[in-house]
Amino acid sequence: MNWQTLAGNRVLGAIVIAIVLQVLSAWLIDGYDISTSLRPLLVISAFLAIASIGQTLVIILGGIDLSIPFVMGFANVVAAQLYGQGVDFTLICLLVGVLALLIGAVNGALSSILKIHPLIITLGIGTMVQGSVLWWTGGFPTGSAPDAVSEFVSIGASLGPIPLPGLIPAVIIVAVAVALMLSSTAYGRRLYAIGGNPSAARYALISPAGMWIATFALSAFFAAMAGILLLGFTGSAYGDVGQPYLFQTIAAVVIGGTALVGGRGSYIGTIAGSLVLVEINTLLIGLGLQPSMVQAALGAVIIALVSLYGRESHIRTTI
Amino acid sequence: MSGLGFGAVLLVVLLIVNIWLNPVRFAPRALGTLFGLAAPLTAAALASTPAILGGRGGIDISVGPVMGFVNAILVTVLIGQFDLASPWIVIPAAVVIGATIGAINGGLATFVRIQPIVATLGTYLVLTGLTLTLVPAPTGTIPDWLRLFSQTLSIVPLAGIALVWGLLRLTPYHGLLMATGSDDRAAYTAGVNVVLVRWLAYVLTGAFAGIASLSLTALIGSADPSIGPTYTLLAISAVALGGVSLAGGRGGLINAAIGAADIFLLQTAITYFNASTFVLEIIYGAVLVLAVAVMAIQEQWLQRGRTP
Repeated sequence: MNWQTLAGNRVLGAIVIAIVLQVLSAWLIDGYDISTSLRPLLVISAFLAIASIGQTLVIILGGIDLSIPFVMGFANVVAAQLYGQGVDFTLICLLVGVLALLIGAVNGALSSILKIHPLIITLGIGTMVQGSVLWWTGGFPTGSAPDAVSEFVSIGASLGPIPLPGLIPAVIIVAVAVALMLSSTAYGRRLYAIGGNPSAARYALISPAGMWIATFALSAFFAAMAGILLLGFTGSAYGDVGQPYLFQTIAAVVIGGTALVGGRGSYIGTIAGSLVLVEINTLLIGLGLQPSMVQAALGAVIIALVSLYGRESHIRTTI
Repeated sequence: MSGLGFGAVLLVVLLIVNIWLNPVRFAPRALGTLFGLAAPLTAAALASTPAILGGRGGIDISVGPVMGFVNAILVTVLIGQFDLASPWIVIPAAVVIGATIGAINGGLATFVRIQPIVATLGTYLVLTGLTLTLVPAPTGTIPDWLRLFSQTLSIVPLAGIALVWGLLRLTPYHGLLMATGSDDRAAYTAGVNVVLVRWLAYVLTGAFAGIASLSLTALIGSADPSIGPTYTLLAISAVALGGVSLAGGRGGLINAAIGAADIFLLQTAITYFNASTFVLEIIYGAVLVLAVAVMAIQEQWLQRGRTP
């Protein structure tokens, strides 16, 4: 494979970097053992990958969703609180899922029908959601996750003969489903069509409003699922659990080769992007950097990676 | 254009409500302090505007971290370490550091052609990381003259930004920026150096963020690593609330200032009722969504009237 094809294929770029980072970690960090470090890497990346499903879809559509961290916090706190009050957990998941779909639908409807930048709408709606949850709990959420959820996401758990928690195969199944949805369903075709050229899509009788509502609803739904799974991981409710995911989902999507202008990208790339982000974090901490310096280095690495294979075209080529 | 729109109406209403609720705080004698409280957010909103006006996804989400970074450098290094506390050094330093970061942001967004939100997310992380390394916890003090920027002289940093922008409006640059923001391809075909115009917008954003940091430093009176980044999303909300189009090419600094004043007055009114911060968050989110929705409906209605 030569450099040209690598630069041309953004998804492949992200996957290659994910592998290179593994090799680098093994080489640079003393006592780095791939068999023990792989499990936390996969589990932590899995949370990011689930939270980023919606961001991938929304960005392919040509939008952006800043409400993901707020919806994650909402799902996390509501699920814990209700479970603490003795409500059946399946019912809770159903309720949280439906509420999340509604929140997302409002995001999509307002952005598309009124033609307002989704950044502002999702930020406004997200703030309202967070405020409502805090108001309801008085700022001190209680409750916990059922053991089944904790077991499902625990790093130490194993699924029969496979030494991995159930979360990992579940994410793989979801990933295949999302990839198939993007490549071989009418929904996927329409998503790329609207993202690539909104006005042409309208002539092809694709309803932009319908697609925006459905896609933002899906985004909020997956964010809520990530919030519930994180409840199992941390054990207790935390309203700000989603905050790191505000920018991380965007970074994962972009490192995965999806263009923010819409119409291009894939979920497989986002998964590679999630792995890359978590790997860089692990590598830098392994090298003994302070958390604040890890953050600074992460910023520099994101810029470097995106300038390597995620550049936009010059204005003269867009005429 | 319909003028200043919903943001301005909201401003008048909020101003009346606030004066009615709390006349002492809004008395002419207290105006300096009042402006001092509002200045960091207002200046942050003004700073966010040029990059957004440039269009094609132009945005600078590192404005808040730039404010925090400049705050840390001024208080700990310049004033604390080298004892260079003269306004003739501190003020230019703030502007130059801000403009330099703006030039880097602009370079990444225009010459390297990384999508602006990603490029400035990168600098966002770099700057917050560096600030936290430099100043792990709040520390330091500031000279008395700088303290005045949150009291009697609180209007000075804002006036400085307004002056620079007012002078720019006299040059062709302002027209070129608006042309680039509303239709970059048409501007490029007409011979505008779109890349350079956009790059300069980021430099301006950075320089204004440096000035905003002076207001912030004056208000908090120390170096604090956690406050700066909180201004980014508030500032962008203010810009949108005031009626600047996030698609670029429409609006100006007046709109951004109105939006920032709206958010500030909303906060003071709600705090007066002793409502919890949770309620403040709900109302703030609702007003933001409502305001942009009303503006969008107004816009669509006007366009319908224009085309027969």
